[in-house]
Amino acid sequence: MLNPSGTLNVAVIVKLEPDFSEGNVSYNSDGTLNRAETKNVLGPHSAVASSAALYAKVKYGANVSVATMGPPIAEAALQQSQLICNADELHLYSDRIFAGADTLATSEVLRAGIKKMANEQGIDIVFSGHRASDGETGQTGPQTAWKLGYPFIGNVIDYDIDKERGYVRLQRLIKNYGHNDIIEELESPLPVFITLDPSYSPFFNTVSQRLNLALNQNDAEKRSSRYKEYLKTFSAQSLELNLKSVGLPGSPTIVYKVEKIPRAKANRKADIIDGYSQENLSQVARRIYGILGETIIK
Amino acid sequence: MEKFDVAIIGGGSAGLAALKQLSNLGKQAILIEGGKKIGTKNVSGGLLYSKNTTIGKVYNVEDVYDNFLTDAPVERQITKYMLHATSKDKMFSLDLTPTHNYQTNFGYSVLLNKLLPWFAKEALNSAEKTGGGIVTGIHVRSIMWKDENTIIIETDELEPFQVKAVIAADGVNSEVAQITGARRKFTQSDLYQGVKVVVKLPEEIIEERFEITNNEGAAHLFAGDVTLNHIGGGFLYTNKDTLSVGAVYHYDSLIEKPTEPYELVNALLSNPFVIELIKDEVPETKENYKNLSKEEELRTRFKANKLIKDWKELHHTYYSPSGVKELLANGKYKTKEEIKNKVDSIHDELVSKYDIEFESNYVELEYSAKLVPDGKRCRMKKPYFKNILFIGDAAGRGIFVGPRIEGLNVGIDDAVRAAEAVSNAIDKNSFHSNILGERYRRLVEESPYTKDMDEIDKNYLKVFLDCTKQVPNDIVDYRYRAIFKLMSNSTFRGISVGLVNKLGYRRLLPILESNKTYTEVPIKIAERKGKDVQKSYSIRIPAIAERIAKLNYNDDSLSHIKVLDSQSDFMKKMVTLCPTKCYSMENGRVILQHEGCIECGTCLKETEWRHPRGEKGIAYQYG
Repeated sequence: MLNPSGTLNVAVIVKLEPDFSEGNVSYNSDGTLNRAETKNVLGPHSAVASSAALYAKVKYGANVSVATMGPPIAEAALQQSQLICNADELHLYSDRIFAGADTLATSEVLRAGIKKMANEQGIDIVFSGHRASDGETGQTGPQTAWKLGYPFIGNVIDYDIDKERGYVRLQRLIKNYGHNDIIEELESPLPVFITLDPSYSPFFNTVSQRLNLALNQNDAEKRSSRYKEYLKTFSAQSLELNLKSVGLPGSPTIVYKVEKIPRAKANRKADIIDGYSQENLSQVARRIYGILGETIIK
Repeated sequence: MEKFDVAIIGGGSAGLAALKQLSNLGKQAILIEGGKKIGTKNVSGGLLYSKNTTIGKVYNVEDVYDNFLTDAPVERQITKYMLHATSKDKMFSLDLTPTHNYQTNFGYSVLLNKLLPWFAKEALNSAEKTGGGIVTGIHVRSIMWKDENTIIIETDELEPFQVKAVIAADGVNSEVAQITGARRKFTQSDLYQGVKVVVKLPEEIIEERFEITNNEGAAHLFAGDVTLNHIGGGFLYTNKDTLSVGAVYHYDSLIEKPTEPYELVNALLSNPFVIELIKDEVPETKENYKNLSKEEELRTRFKANKLIKDWKELHHTYYSPSGVKELLANGKYKTKEEIKNKVDSIHDELVSKYDIEFESNYVELEYSAKLVPDGKRCRMKKPYFKNILFIGDAAGRGIFVGPRIEGLNVGIDDAVRAAEAVSNAIDKNSFHSNILGERYRRLVEESPYTKDMDEIDKNYLKVFLDCTKQVPNDIVDYRYRAIFKLMSNSTFRGISVGLVNKLGYRRLLPILESNKTYTEVPIKIAERKGKDVQKSYSIRIPAIAERIAKLNYNDDSLSHIKVLDSQSDFMKKMVTLCPTKCYSMENGRVILQHEGCIECGTCLKETEWRHPRGEKGIAYQYG
């Protein structure tokens, strides 16, 4: 069954991450990330999760809430997510006590946040990214699902909702019998917790969906430029959390050493060629032709 | 299957006007556009007119968009309209401003990629109220009839959907016309081929050079040796901070003596008068970093390129009042003087440290091409097929009368008429051709523009002849001399124009539109009466490969063009006539490389020609 409100309610969990895209990362001399210099943006997997919520909004008229845990600057992630999915509400779980949380403590905060939403308005689907680009654990999503007691389905590449029955039909990528990328089709009752495969991208294939998409994108631009109006901030107290299970006290993980990854040995030799000169370029072309020329089918 | 009232195919100026107008009438319409964004597939020479005719009402752009005059991103209002006859370094100029002003409210120069998104925004605002809208990146593949009142549209990207009526606004190469067989393919004598380059030039330099103020604009037309012996001519229009320079030639004449389209525009660009108009200061790298180490050399080059970019931006901004205002408002500079000093200091640094020389040349931004239908030869007499109405270029409705070339305003006028017919049919819930198609045909017949395509307007002719009074009579051929004499007397003019219109204006075309009128006579005039024009530098025109490299494409691995007969004479001529050199010869056969195609349709006649799939193909930035 769908939640009692009759509207599909969707939550998206996102994360503010360092911008690892080309040319934007800054490192300290010891090879660690220079957090002060590197800009923070909505994580790429969070963006994928947001686009799954956009699909729900366009296709099923869903009500979308985006949530994140972090310091006040994490608002930026909420704003960028809103620009993608035209979110109706933005929830920031922010409290000094949350600092130093590992994945388990983070999941506890997210559980409380989602539970609060579920109690107030009902929740049908929770989306989150595959993993974070700075943590790379992929644990937070499944742990939150487990804490909530929702079915967890990962690596999802497409979904459709049967509103009448309150079921979701999904396709996900799995590995089986030594084959990669097998598409498994399954069905789950709502509410459900879904993490998206990085390859997911929503496709809108009817005229009304496209019209709706344009409306939503238009709206999203307007909304995200005034995102503060949609923002609600929650503290540990307002989420009724046990202070021992969040932040540093709630984190059993202890990182005692981080090793530098050794530079991979390359077995190719690169020649740097100045692309400004026409002559050099034709040399490159000649070399490529020398190597590939014989394989060209005439 | 999803159902809508009306589908408009094609999001150009005509299609968008139809959407806006239908929505204003409270009807639900969806507009399907192939480009990823509105405006990326559109090219125009660049003038949008608003007319005030005495023989009937035309629907102008400001009738459709009531905030057009205050809000639309147009370039400049044309206040000067000149015709130049050229021969080498001689030029004779005629002021044709009265013909430009003839029954005209205004004529703006426009760049479609700026203007159409604004039209789209306005149209969408209205369309959303009636459950309609704009869908981009969609290519219509087929059109079928379920019954008289129901059309099923299939696209490459979406599930099929059904509508009650279609307005086809998919341009001169209308695929809707092809797949439904509503009209024959246009032939070479129906069409003109236009090639245009957009040239960058700072705002205040344009105003100084063309002797215009901030709100004014100039249009220059060219005939004579710049035509390279073809029927047609060149144009140069001032935009806000760019120029549109182009060449429009009759396709017949190009087929007869194939000439590369870019050579025609190059001939105009290298005319000594034009050279001086487009001149700007351009940094040229001498590349003398060879004494440096490899890495140092790359680093220096990188720095130099960055400085060049900074200089270009600031140099351009310095001459734009709004740009200067913005820079001052940002607080980065305190006075205009300070900006000038910065421009000069970068200039000096480039010269002294990086071995850059500043030369006189011009800056080309975009190369484009399009076919233009000549309405007097090819307008659809029956501009509908069942419940599909054709508007604008798709219906072959362009006006070519001497120096007068109009298309955008005609399309908008058609759109209003089509919207009215469709709206009426929806109200009556009948889409039979008596209700819809015939009604639209009658409305179009009433349009003063249709009259302009069929007949000579004797009042316009008088204004034109008055402008050409300085032309010595004996220069023109005896045949024309008689006509001139006849025409200069108002009673004779009335009678003879009446007679010509009775007999059919088309019969006169071989005399009116000939090498004599476009090339020989102008050359003679220029040589006899022209002033000397000196050029102050030699221009470097980018090769066609450089021009293509600057364009934006979203490559489609699937070719949208299929050559039918690779050995036909026509296809062999395409090797020369394709504006982007998509065709080449190999072993006596014509082969196609579609990747550089800019979808002009020059090769359409003997190919299986489709528009690329949604979002694919060329994406213009200026248009």
